[in-house]
Amino acid sequence: MNGFMFRNLRQIRAHMAGLALLTATFLPTEGLALEPEQIGVKTLPNPTETWLMARDGLGTLYIFDSATGDMHGLLGISQFTPAVQPNLQANEFYAAESYYSRNTRGERTDVLTIYDMPTLNPKAEIKIPNKIAALPFRRYIALLDDQRFLAIFNLTPAQSVSVVDLQNQSFVTELSTPGCALTIPTVDRAFLQLCGDGKIQLIRLGTDGNEQARVRSRAFFDIPKDPVFDKTARTAEGWLLLSYEGQVFDVSVEDEKIDISDAWQLLDDDQRAENWRPGGGQFFTYHEGLDLLFVLMNNVGGYSHDHAGNEVWVYDRSAKRLVSRLPLPQKGTNVFVSRNDDALLTVTGTDRQLHVYDVKTMKLVRTIGEVGVSPGYLQGVTH
Amino acid sequence: MKSTAEILARIDQLTQNTSRSLAQLSSRRSFIGKIGSVLVGASLLPLLPVARAATGEARGVNELGDDQSCEYWRYCALGGTLCTCCGGSVNQCPPGAEPSPISWVGTCRNPVDGKDYLISYNDCCGKAVCACCFCHNAERDLPVYSPAKANDILWCFGTESQAYHCTVAVVMGEA
Repeated sequence: MNGFMFRNLRQIRAHMAGLALLTATFLPTEGLALEPEQIGVKTLPNPTETWLMARDGLGTLYIFDSATGDMHGLLGISQFTPAVQPNLQANEFYAAESYYSRNTRGERTDVLTIYDMPTLNPKAEIKIPNKIAALPFRRYIALLDDQRFLAIFNLTPAQSVSVVDLQNQSFVTELSTPGCALTIPTVDRAFLQLCGDGKIQLIRLGTDGNEQARVRSRAFFDIPKDPVFDKTARTAEGWLLLSYEGQVFDVSVEDEKIDISDAWQLLDDDQRAENWRPGGGQFFTYHEGLDLLFVLMNNVGGYSHDHAGNEVWVYDRSAKRLVSRLPLPQKGTNVFVSRNDDALLTVTGTDRQLHVYDVKTMKLVRTIGEVGVSPGYLQGVTH
Repeated sequence: MKSTAEILARIDQLTQNTSRSLAQLSSRRSFIGKIGSVLVGASLLPLLPVARAATGEARGVNELGDDQSCEYWRYCALGGTLCTCCGGSVNQCPPGAEPSPISWVGTCRNPVDGKDYLISYNDCCGKAVCACCFCHNAERDLPVYSPAKANDILWCFGTESQAYHCTVAVVMGEA
């Protein structure tokens, strides 16, 4: 061992002694006030109208507040679940799910899962027929206005509806609905469907959840010429329907009568000639208080209803006129407007981020990134 | 901007016209000689995507273009991911996937012969989704209440598993 190394060793020992003294000074010792932290689990705060759920591809639902950009939690659902039905009164979410015993193979089991809203954990499962329609469509699941029965759309590709009793946590019945799709909730324990003959079908349930009445509207659209989309927006009176060529219909129900308004047009002749058309995923959304309809538009023309939109067009619904056009820096696939007075419009961008606009100024107020891998479909938490 | 298929169809049309003109203007022997020169020249051109078709499985029609592009003529009503990008082909599922026996149909125009063909879009199922080459084509696509012509449906019906992998586009015949 040479002198240089000896000196170094002495220095190292001196440093170590100092370090030990310092460490001892700052380590918690018995009798000091600092308590060790406890691991725990947060619960979901009460959702507000600016909250939304963004679907990552065909999987997880990310819960965000569009007013802050904060993520509040995540709902893990099956890749075949169409949409989730919130129930704020019961503090629950309902999800129709398909599972295979070996991930993508094995035995299939379809269930209606009841998720506890504060914990986001499943708390009950109700076995339903292995027939649920996949892909994220909001109107594939409907909580009826009695808050007791749930209608779930099936596609095998035969069309039917499964009825679930939430009160007894049981499957009630399967209603055959040939030629008709969706479950759009309406008044008095009933739901509407769009049908391949250009009509709307109303099915009303009895107090036991079985079918009580079934009626059809007049034919109001021509499928080969201009079909209405299988997407909707809720209004105070009922529902808004849009067609490929930009016709807008108001639909409401009174007793057994289905009222369908005359159509008004999203597009004038010049805009149609410029190839503007509505399109995207869930590409329109409506704010009841402001009476504004927001529609993603592309200028691809023809059958471009699956294309992302270059702009959001804003319509005054009562005046039936275009009031604003919002060019998007990134094309958008889905839109969602919060229902509060200071409304926020969220657009899923093709850049895989959520872009939030202040409706009053139509200015971008925030961008929310890293919403899973590939966010698409948006839906509200409170509505 | 023109699609690759349109450009290749145009090249094909020009080639046919040129060949016909040459044949009309020349004797049979000199025509063959001139065509030979053209073919030698053609061999120096970069290999076009059609080469893939020549080495693949049997196809019922003459066609040109890049079958890994959403603009390929068969995909005019295809909403989904292309099996050609996932180890399959235009009419064959990738290894291990199960073709759905039930499908939606579209009518697409083949730019090579200008004819309309009935195309069956079959989903390949039972494996995790192949997230490659996603297309949003929706020519004559109808909403879910008309399922036979709707592409916004997970068409893995009648298969062991409804897990979606990718979609093939099978020519069924002239429309």
